Amino acid sequence: MSKINGQNLLKVTELSLVLEGQTILKDVSFEIKPEEVLAIIGPNGSGKSMLLKTIVGLVKQTSGTITWDPGTNIGYLPQRFQVDRYLPMTAKEFLNLKPAPLKSLDKITELVKIDKKFLNTNIAHLSGGELQRLLLAWSLIGTPNLLLFDEPTENVDVVGQESIYKLLHQLQDQMKIAIIIVSHDLHVVYRYANHVLCLNQRMICYGEPQATLTTKNLSEVYGDHAFFHHHHFNDTTENHA
Amino acid sequence: MAITPFFTTTTSTTLPKTMPDIFPLILISGIAVAAASGLMGSFLVLRRMTLLSDALSHVALPGIALGIIFGFQPLIGGVLFLFFGALLVWQIEHKTKLATESVTAVLFVTMLAIGTLITPETELLETFFGNVSHITPFQAILQIIIGLAIIFTVAKYFKPLLITSIAPDLAAASKISQEKMHLLLLVLVTLTIAIGISFVGILLMSALSIIPAATARNLSQSYREFVTLSVGLAVATLSGGLLIGYLTSIDSSIAAVLLNALLFTASLFKKR
Repeated sequence: MSKINGQNLLKVTELSLVLEGQTILKDVSFEIKPEEVLAIIGPNGSGKSMLLKTIVGLVKQTSGTITWDPGTNIGYLPQRFQVDRYLPMTAKEFLNLKPAPLKSLDKITELVKIDKKFLNTNIAHLSGGELQRLLLAWSLIGTPNLLLFDEPTENVDVVGQESIYKLLHQLQDQMKIAIIIVSHDLHVVYRYANHVLCLNQRMICYGEPQATLTTKNLSEVYGDHAFFHHHHFNDTTENHA
Repeated sequence: MAITPFFTTTTSTTLPKTMPDIFPLILISGIAVAAASGLMGSFLVLRRMTLLSDALSHVALPGIALGIIFGFQPLIGGVLFLFFGALLVWQIEHKTKLATESVTAVLFVTMLAIGTLITPETELLETFFGNVSHITPFQAILQIIIGLAIIFTVAKYFKPLLITSIAPDLAAASKISQEKMHLLLLVLVTLTIAIGISFVGILLMSALSIIPAATARNLSQSYREFVTLSVGLAVATLSGGLLIGYLTSIDSSIAAVLLNALLFTASLFKKR
């Protein structure tokens, strides 16, 4: 693995992905520096989750390069983590499975604000939000400096989502972690991201949110109709106008 | 013994009682085999691969038959065919786009038919349901060694094996090769079937690994409980079966399977 220019933790160049003859991603390029938050936005089926999966190595890219700094240590939270309803496993047992040195479970549970009682609960009994926290705790084991967070679109209520974002923000402050977050919520992007990448198979825009999320770009990402129905956009334009 | 209805075989339905001399050794071998089976069963139940292990055990039959016909150790023939079957499953799953489940089912039923066709009729019943009294001291010791090897290997790779079973995405992100773990699991399952066949035969083999794990799952809240119970139940039921077979005219394999079925049924009544 080659050391990459300057301070980048990760550099992706002209990444394309074709699966079964269908183009999923085309010519996506971006980079991420330490402590930076990059938001990836786009409508359903735009390739956001596939981009993360390709970066992590779950899917092999068709062309393009993914270059990691040797010092990068990632934590990955997939969009969906379906637990078999009858899986007999406590939250603590699950965290102990992570193949990384677990220095202090107490510190991690404190960071993601889960209490000790929760650790002895069977993970099949956890709610969507609680499962997200558990996954977040999992991804923090091994002290990552880059967190890849694929936003859940189901099974997490709005309150749960809001607290996850707050939590991520606090973690970034405390642990100085860089974050790549896949989101469909523009509110989150304006509030937490340094850079935004708009995706709809191909990369439509990339840059600082205020400068990049123009009406023209957004309508190209979401399509005119979907864009005007996107209530988060209306919220945020009022806040940031 | 209650089975035989559709076999016109000359084999006596009551197995010869010629095992007292080495019974303690067979019991120890049974404990090692059952512990390995219970352990592997816990993974198979979690991965929903229970039918695969059942089908895989049938592949051993033509190999065992060739051993009987050509006068070499039938177990060796069985093991060779089992590995061939496991390799085939691996190839189908990873290198083709065929529907694994259907192809596996077709393949293994065919193997069962071929095996039945070429196995001498007098040996058929024993191959299907096992015959503890025919286990030689060498075989018993070999089974103990392989059983322990399976247990130690699982202990060594426990975390990656388990995490690939319950969360493949998280495993891959942690740089655990799903393909390697799957292959390791297949090899371990194959070895478990190979050492279990002499106790319960090819048709009842899955009962030795699957039922204890399924029962344990009904009764457990934590993973530690699940694995401990799965191994414990497998050991208890096979040992119980062996003792019943030793003391009565009931075949040990049938006794072990029925004990397992009884405990599984009882576990269904546990309040979740």
